[in-house]
Amino acid sequence: MRKIAVIFLTLTLCWTTVACSGSNTTTQAPPNQNVSVRPQSNSNLSNGEYAVQQASYSDANGEYTLFLLNTPAGSPPTYRTTNLQMARLTPEEVSAGKKSYLKIDNNQASLHLTEDFKIEYVRAVTETRTDPQTGQPQTVIVRQESGGFWAPFAGAVAGNIVGNLLFRPQYYVPPVYQPGVSVMTGFGGYGRTYDQAVNQYQSRYQAPPPAVRNRPAYLRTTGRIRSYPSGGSTVRTSPRVNTSDRPTGSGFGSSTLRSSDKSRPSRVDRTPSFGSGRSSRPARSGFGTRRR
Amino acid sequence: MSGWRDRFGKMMGKTRFVVCRLSIHLAGDQVAPLLGVLNRVARQAIDSEGEIEVLGEGLVEICESLLQYDTYWLSAANEGDVFWDEGEAGDYFNDLFTDSAQRYLSEPDLGTPAGAKDTFSLPVTRNLVVMITVAFEGEVPQLETDLANIAALKAGLKALINLHYQKRLRAIQIHFSPAQLGDELTSDQLLEHFPELIPL
Repeated sequence: MRKIAVIFLTLTLCWTTVACSGSNTTTQAPPNQNVSVRPQSNSNLSNGEYAVQQASYSDANGEYTLFLLNTPAGSPPTYRTTNLQMARLTPEEVSAGKKSYLKIDNNQASLHLTEDFKIEYVRAVTETRTDPQTGQPQTVIVRQESGGFWAPFAGAVAGNIVGNLLFRPQYYVPPVYQPGVSVMTGFGGYGRTYDQAVNQYQSRYQAPPPAVRNRPAYLRTTGRIRSYPSGGSTVRTSPRVNTSDRPTGSGFGSSTLRSSDKSRPSRVDRTPSFGSGRSSRPARSGFGTRRR
Repeated sequence: MSGWRDRFGKMMGKTRFVVCRLSIHLAGDQVAPLLGVLNRVARQAIDSEGEIEVLGEGLVEICESLLQYDTYWLSAANEGDVFWDEGEAGDYFNDLFTDSAQRYLSEPDLGTPAGAKDTFSLPVTRNLVVMITVAFEGEVPQLETDLANIAALKAGLKALINLHYQKRLRAIQIHFSPAQLGDELTSDQLLEHFPELIPL
């Protein structure tokens, strides 16, 4: 009886260990797969390490601009990206005399910085104006100006993150902008994914970071409404004889969601995880009307 | 699987994104005036260059109008998905736009201006389909369910209105067919292009 109990407990332990580690691997995918920050890097640098001379961050769109020193011939010295992880140089690297560098590994860029490295902070000055056409108040970016410097890993920060985390590439969101402060130290949020960093910022300051708030909405239209306003809504057009079997229609929409950079099979054609009974597809889960 | 992921995502403190599409088919002689509301909202949206605030107000207006026309509701359908990754939600939202758009003629109106010899009367459509797709953060049980009955649909539309005032909407799209007064959506076209609609 005791033997059976021992075997049973061992098996349970094994199973829970495997189950836990399994769930970790499925949900905590490496950040470069999990995150898609519209990585629009203008140059395709090959894998490697590049010395960084200067860096700037624009809070209008969350884009980093890096000036690199030893880029290969043919690639421009500037590197722009919104998908950038950062880490502090490890003590070993510092004692080896390494300077700040950009590491590109499998299209994932990570910036390894010395403690005192300062990133120039370019601030978008926004203003709420009334749209003359609709009378709606809207926020517009008036101009961009230098907002001082941002030193993500300067001195006091070390206490906030537990040791090793500093040396692992992670996503950082700058702290809230304070006018008159020449060097901002620390960060507003950090995380394994960009979303986590943004969430942390949001829970700390009860507002999304400027790079997210300033994210533009993308308007998309189709159908008849596309002829507006150039078509002129005042001109009455005669109802055409509709020769095709499709009805007329209009559609418009606007999205502030990021789109992912990955091409994946269209979810609409695949099984929507919950869905109305458009076809005989079985609804896996979720919600939606079912065909009776 | 989804329930399990749901719990895990919540535990990890991730943002939950819901993308859902709701189609309503209205039938009757009196449904055409809704086209005016829909087109006005569409123009406001384009004028504002897609400002989500403005679209949200338009969405509220459309939902309120739809609620007033509840006696004309004939069939409906809905579908949606839950995401823990913003990029995936954005892709699905775009896919739904394309899917909704291919159900009607996508060409802009290139008709000739009405001449003197044209008749003054216009055919009035007896059918109207409105497709509303939204992406929002958080959880709304009224929308994440089967909406193919009148009570659930009413609750869903009200939930959509509330979402705007809770400032949780991240993306909005509205499609409607026919496009304007004078165009028609026949019952045959309805069957062919909107097969998922379920009688209420």
